[in-house]
Amino acid sequence: MSELAAPRRRVRRLFGARQLGLIIRIVAGAAIAVFALSTPGFLTPLSVNALLTAISFVGCVAVGMTFITLTGNIMSLALGATVSASALIFLASLSLGVAPAFLIAALFGTVITAAQGFLVGYFRANPILVSIAALSLLLGAAAFATGGHRIYPGGAGIEFFKGRMGAVPVNAMFFFATVIVGQFVISWTRMGRLMTMVGSNARAAIAAGIDITATVTVAYAMAGACAAIGGVLLAARYGSGDMELGAGYDYSAIAAVLVGGTGISGGSGSAWRTLIGVIVIAVIEVVLLLRGFSEQLQYLITGLIVLSVIMLHTLGERRQG
Amino acid sequence: MSVLAVAGVTKRFGPNAVLKNVSLALGAGEVRAICGENGAGKSTLVKIMTGLYAPDEGAVSVDGKALTIESPQHAQQLGIALVAQELSLPPALSVLDNIWLGNREVPLFHRRAALRRRARATLDKLGLADLALDTPVSALSIGRRQLVEIARMLTREARVFILDEPTATLSDVEIERIFAALRTLKAEGKSVIYITHRLGEVFDICDTVSVLRNGELIGTRPTSEIDRGTLMQMMLGRSMSEMYPRWEDKSDGAMLRVKRLRVPPLVHDFDLVAARGTVTCLAGQIGSGAITVLRALAGLIAGATGEVSVQGTPMRLRSVTKAQAVNVQFISEDRAGEGLFLRLNAGQNLIATKLREHCRFGILLRGKLRSVAAGLAAAVGVDRTRLRSPADELSGGNQQKLAFGRWIGSDRPGVLLMNEPTRGVDVGARAEIYRLIRQFCDQGYCIVMASSDIEEVLGMADVVVSMYRGRQVARYRRGEVDMQRLLADITHPVAAA
Amino acid sequence: MKQSALLLLAPAVRPFTIMIGTIVALGLIDRGSGYFFSVGTIFSVMQLFATLGLVALGLGLSMLVREFDLSVAGMMSLGGCIAVLTGGTSPWLGACLGVGAGVISGLLQGLIMTRLGLSSVGVTLGGLLTLQGLTYVLTGNQTISYPNMAVALGLNAPIAHLLSVRSAAALAVFAVATLVMTFTHVGRDIIATGSDRRASRIAGLNTDRIMIGVFAASGAASALAGVLLSYSLGAASPAGLSDVLAPAAAAAIVGGVSVVGGRGNAPGIAAGVLTLCILRSGLSAIGVPPFVHDLVTGGILLVIAVLDAPDLARHITAWRFARAERRAHTYSRESRDAAAT
Repeated sequence: MSELAAPRRRVRRLFGARQLGLIIRIVAGAAIAVFALSTPGFLTPLSVNALLTAISFVGCVAVGMTFITLTGNIMSLALGATVSASALIFLASLSLGVAPAFLIAALFGTVITAAQGFLVGYFRANPILVSIAALSLLLGAAAFATGGHRIYPGGAGIEFFKGRMGAVPVNAMFFFATVIVGQFVISWTRMGRLMTMVGSNARAAIAAGIDITATVTVAYAMAGACAAIGGVLLAARYGSGDMELGAGYDYSAIAAVLVGGTGISGGSGSAWRTLIGVIVIAVIEVVLLLRGFSEQLQYLITGLIVLSVIMLHTLGERRQG
Repeated sequence: MSVLAVAGVTKRFGPNAVLKNVSLALGAGEVRAICGENGAGKSTLVKIMTGLYAPDEGAVSVDGKALTIESPQHAQQLGIALVAQELSLPPALSVLDNIWLGNREVPLFHRRAALRRRARATLDKLGLADLALDTPVSALSIGRRQLVEIARMLTREARVFILDEPTATLSDVEIERIFAALRTLKAEGKSVIYITHRLGEVFDICDTVSVLRNGELIGTRPTSEIDRGTLMQMMLGRSMSEMYPRWEDKSDGAMLRVKRLRVPPLVHDFDLVAARGTVTCLAGQIGSGAITVLRALAGLIAGATGEVSVQGTPMRLRSVTKAQAVNVQFISEDRAGEGLFLRLNAGQNLIATKLREHCRFGILLRGKLRSVAAGLAAAVGVDRTRLRSPADELSGGNQQKLAFGRWIGSDRPGVLLMNEPTRGVDVGARAEIYRLIRQFCDQGYCIVMASSDIEEVLGMADVVVSMYRGRQVARYRRGEVDMQRLLADITHPVAAA
Repeated sequence: MKQSALLLLAPAVRPFTIMIGTIVALGLIDRGSGYFFSVGTIFSVMQLFATLGLVALGLGLSMLVREFDLSVAGMMSLGGCIAVLTGGTSPWLGACLGVGAGVISGLLQGLIMTRLGLSSVGVTLGGLLTLQGLTYVLTGNQTISYPNMAVALGLNAPIAHLLSVRSAAALAVFAVATLVMTFTHVGRDIIATGSDRRASRIAGLNTDRIMIGVFAASGAASALAGVLLSYSLGAASPAGLSDVLAPAAAAAIVGGVSVVGGRGNAPGIAAGVLTLCILRSGLSAIGVPPFVHDLVTGGILLVIAVLDAPDLARHITAWRFARAERRAHTYSRESRDAAAT
């Protein structure tokens, strides 16, 4: 049934699709690298720093989104709001100390998103619909709790996140740690393997005796934790926050996930790939900036490149549908 | 001059050549049967004729002119109508809408009254006078859906009508109505291609028969010039003994007991006793309930009730984990949809159920898992070099072996349920799978198998249970039943004397 | 009694039940103080409908074929900007160009999806970013004002106190969509494609053409929404990834469109949009703080998500069986005990 091939799709088969996809990816990557390295000012400490900081925020959310996409649940439109809400909770809890505030924020993000995962896993409710519902609920609850005011730090300690450890900004350290932990979970733990299997074929997972509810709930919980970390980093960066803080991060995150090569239909993906996706997008943006392209052209070209890369990736994969 | 012909058609899926240099020609007013066992290439040939696949080599010609049939729409334009083996009725639409779906002659602003009248007339002709036109198809049984699909075909203005296994789920009365409709078509000068497993029908309704075996055309004969035996000989081409492994009685006590299994509305009061070391086959066609029984035993059906025990321990239904807890394993009939993780590689598929045993604190012992996978691959005869290939790149036979390999290697052989184990597997690989099944038996597994392939049932089973419409018809031991009898049981059983 | 209650929840009727329920609930909360049931409220509801309705219609169409058009917000921005930039002297020209841009974007995305066999999420995400970028480039990253004030005022002028030209136009589009879907086979073909694309293809439908058509229509509808909005605001701005996607998806789903395709229609979508707009305007008319709107919307969506979930029935069946089994056990145990004594 999956072999229902229209004549025009023969083109893909003729060229050994998987090899072609890999070659295209390598060529594209090399092109971007050359483009970047040949840009004056790209390798300066200032620009590298800016790059690292920029990718840390989106990157954390993107790693989280990877878990959701991996399990075949496409994306969540609530991660951006989760980022903002976690940031607000972090700021408000700073009176209890930095570490407790961080943990409380992380716990919040984890629980809120895990609840969505439970609904998606147990009832097989539609993930996009559940995320939209969660988005509304988060926005409403936050508006109620904050009364519309900006939230300022309730205590000291934010400076830690703005600092550096040696040459690397703390932000970036958190991001890389998130990537490493995320990748470890995906490739080296049983739960991560279960997530990949559920995303590849949920029916086969059921027949094999896998507990879909638990697997999806844990995947969403990881996503929530990552989003919360991103929220904390953002809160520290801006020193105050409201629900606009994380707005739009859902799109940036899923773009990074797709550009990195994780399949939208689930069952194949990794945190490494998302890291690459985040870096590629950020490098393109920085290079365009340094080469003097106007902000508008930056948006346009980035958009076109994202579209092209997504198209390129699927040249090497079959469509599941 | 032929109405529809294929010349030198070859079609490959990945490494398999499903059709090899097939040529045949259909004349006007001719009813041609195409016969062959599972995997012979019949459905693929027909899909090429109707624009769903493109041949890798060779050509299709209509009225003597060679051309490429680009799409089902194009085929419709050329006057070719199809009833496919897999039903193609979008469940969200009503019967009326489904009948007219995709019909090119329906104008944009359709006058519904005329369409309703014609649909009603066709349905009445097929004996569905009690079926309301606005019933959503999702509410119909498989048999009725099949008839709606045939009604759709009959409302097409076509010259060639192709039916792929149309009668598997139908009663005798319904089948006779379809034959009447086909005879009318023939009288009108239209041509029919009729694919079937059921040799009686070939001689009932068809003028000529073409036999495919293993992707090749063996020959075309008028039905008046051959008999059933010759036809079977052409189809099988070899004696049964070469295909099926030698059998020894390794039966060793009852292992699985099923009492009063019910899955409304598909299975009624089904009982079963299966012994360790034996192969029990549930023989039945689509809709007979054989597949449903095994899925219920596997814990996949939410509405199943009954008493089941495995080696004395009661087993709860409706839960896959409970079934696996008493060592009841299941191999699905839908390999791609429910059996394998197509995007994972072969090795990962093999160890999919063994993760818990080889992990510590939730962390996988990857090296160990790799060697386990290699061992399982060797045990089922999958080449080690293919372990890293994604599962969807393997042939049907290799994929089925992966499904098998998942369940062996545990120290306590249990009950192995398998639905249609050789569906979509070519002849060569099938012999290997039969050998594997015997091997499992020898190791002490209790195998319960559901199959609609009579020959396979007769070749493999120690115990045959024939089923029709959700009930057991009869139970035979090896050697007590022949093909004729079994076929009769599962298609139109006479009430037991 | 129970039968009619179930009927009201049937997917075809549900959007209207929810809409009426919302009106009744708000009316009760308002308790006759006249804030809710007022001409002003209806007018503001219809103004919201004019924008959200068209976008929801477009998005809903893509959901009918089991896809999801993430780029609707981008088409809205682009349509609006093009119209404002080119429609100074001739508003009709600007409108045509704006809608045309939407159609072309939809066509292109549909072509990419069908020719390359891609899923809509990736393509429309890239499309969204590209369209957004295009809008920025065309406007030079600034708000462009629309010189033709007469049009701006005219679009918003009340007709019979309840509608404006804008909302009347949106209603007209819905009417046309309903007629097309009911009286031609286009509607049924779309539902068939969404219900089972493979089967529809075998039956002879040109599913590629249907997909491309659906995305072109989605682009046109969203672009039209942007054109009307920008004209009436007298300005177009390359707003950020504006959050029209979530409300539009919510409206379509409340309106009975199934996210996995094969179910839904234009009147239902209209009812869904109206429900959300009534909630928004009604709640603010009554004086309830705006966060309540978000909470209520979120709650309704959550309930629908669970009600429509495929496994809900399975779990209920399993729970009923388990309960019956437990009762049977207790019953047999009791009878055994009784027999023993």
